[in-house]
Parts: sequence; C-alpha cells; structure tokens
Amino acid sequence: MRHLHQCVPQGLSVLGDSPVILDLLAFLVLAVTAVVSAIAALVVRELVHTIIWVALFFVTLAGFYFLVSAPFLGVLQLGVYAGAVTILLLFGVMVTRKRIFAREAATGLGPAPIALALLIVVVLATAASTIPASTTQITEYPVSALSYTLFNQYGAWLLLLGLVMLPALAGAIYLVREGRE
Amino acid sequence: MTDLPLAGFLALSAVLLGVGLFGILTRRNFILLLIAIEVAMNSAILNFVVFGSYWGTVPTHGLEGQSVAVVLVGLAATEVAVGLAIVLALNRLRGSINVAEATVLKL
Repeated sequence: MRHLHQCVPQGLSVLGDSPVILDLLAFLVLAVTAVVSAIAALVVRELVHTIIWVALFFVTLAGFYFLVSAPFLGVLQLGVYAGAVTILLLFGVMVTRKRIFAREAATGLGPAPIALALLIVVVLATAASTIPASTTQITEYPVSALSYTLFNQYGAWLLLLGLVMLPALAGAIYLVREGRE
Repeated sequence: MTDLPLAGFLALSAVLLGVGLFGILTRRNFILLLIAIEVAMNSAILNFVVFGSYWGTVPTHGLEGQSVAVVLVGLAATEVAVGLAIVLALNRLRGSINVAEATVLKL
C-alpha cells in the first residue's frame, strides 16, 4: 500500500531513513521562517503585504506537520489555511478599502503588550524546558488509520463541530445580508 | 525524527503564541486582529500535533492529537468566516474597520 508519506519530497520526509541533521536543519529553518513571517505579518503597514506574510506563515506550519509525520494535516493546512483562509482575508481587505495599498496608521507600541507577550513566552518556555525528552518511535501510518481514529474515537467531536459550524454560517449570512439600514 | 527536541517545538509554539497575543493587544484593524488570533490558534494546533506525535500510544501512533487538530482547523476556519462577516457588517455600518469604532452594542 502506497502511503502518503512516500509522496512527500525527500527533504521533508521524516521516515526513519532520513538523516537526523537534515531534519534538525529543516526544523531550524522552518522555525525562523515561521517566527519572522508571523512578526512581519503583524508589523508591516500595508494590509496586502500582511496577507502575503501570513500566507508564508501558514505554509511554514504545513512544513512542520510534514516534519512530524502528519502529512494529512499538512495537506489540510495548505488547503484550508494557505488556500481558503488567505483568500478569504484578501477578499476582506479588498471589499473594505477604497485603495487596496492604503497604509495603516501607525499604532503606538506600548510597553505593556510587549511585556505581557514576553512574560507568556518566558513562562511557557520555562515549562517546556522541564518536559523530559520522549523516546517514543513515530511509525508511519496509513491515512485510513487517521480516519478510523477521527470517526470513531472523535466522532462526537466532529458532530459537535458540525453543530457549531451550522449556526456560525447562518449567522455569517445574517450579518452580511442585504436590506439592513 | 524522534531526535528532534520536543522542547524546541514547545518553545516555538510559545513564541508564536506571544506574537499572536502581542498582535491581539496592539492592533486596531479588525483584519489584523483576526490574523493575530489565527497565529495564536495555529500555535495551539501545532502543540496538539507535536504532543500527539511524541506521546502517541502504539495502537494509534499518536493520531489522537491529529484528530483533535483536524477538528480545531475546522473550528478556526469557521471563526474566520464569522469574523469576516462582522468585518463586512462593521464596514457597512461605520465605513471603517477600526475596532475602536465598533461601539454599536455599547449602552
């Protein structure tokens, strides 16, 4: 049976045969790209540039999913986030501005938000450093195994997601409907 | 693969959460706010997947984390759809998508 793993390019493949150094290098490059693109997306002044940076961020996260042997989730990330959400955000920018490339007014970066964000990072990083390294072997799996887990063990979650999605979509249609004054 | 440090992923996730939080606290544009929320949410989803991969039990190979992540991706996409509907409604009502002008529900 041909698994999805084998369709992934070798550089991103995380099967046992790929060298550890290569994976570590991929992790470092992806991590730096993710952090830089996330910061750039929130700091650049033009909203269209923000969308481009955030698209790069989503693609980088998909790379992480391929790296930790979650190819299905990587493809889902590319399809839902890098595809749909990015286009949806671009659409939002398009219909709400008179000039697409208008610049945002600069907002003052108060010390309090930066301090709070740094505090969260420090607390979480400290907690992360206390977690012992695990030696569990990650084995490749057929995608059917994921669907089995998803639709049996987590079937109720999926139903719940459907229950959330239906009123959310109805509410979205209600909000943007014509004829409101 | 298993030689990749778990703490590295967790630290990265913490940094991304910090970036998202910073964006939520400082940005005044509704679309930028949505993007900041997405960044924070993606860091949480990454945590689910990584924890699942590292501590997965043998019969399911850590697929629990990925199952939760699939549900969360759907939830986040729904949230963006509703958020953009609010952006459009706010733009129609106020002619601007500055969150400071979203005062319709204030007494």
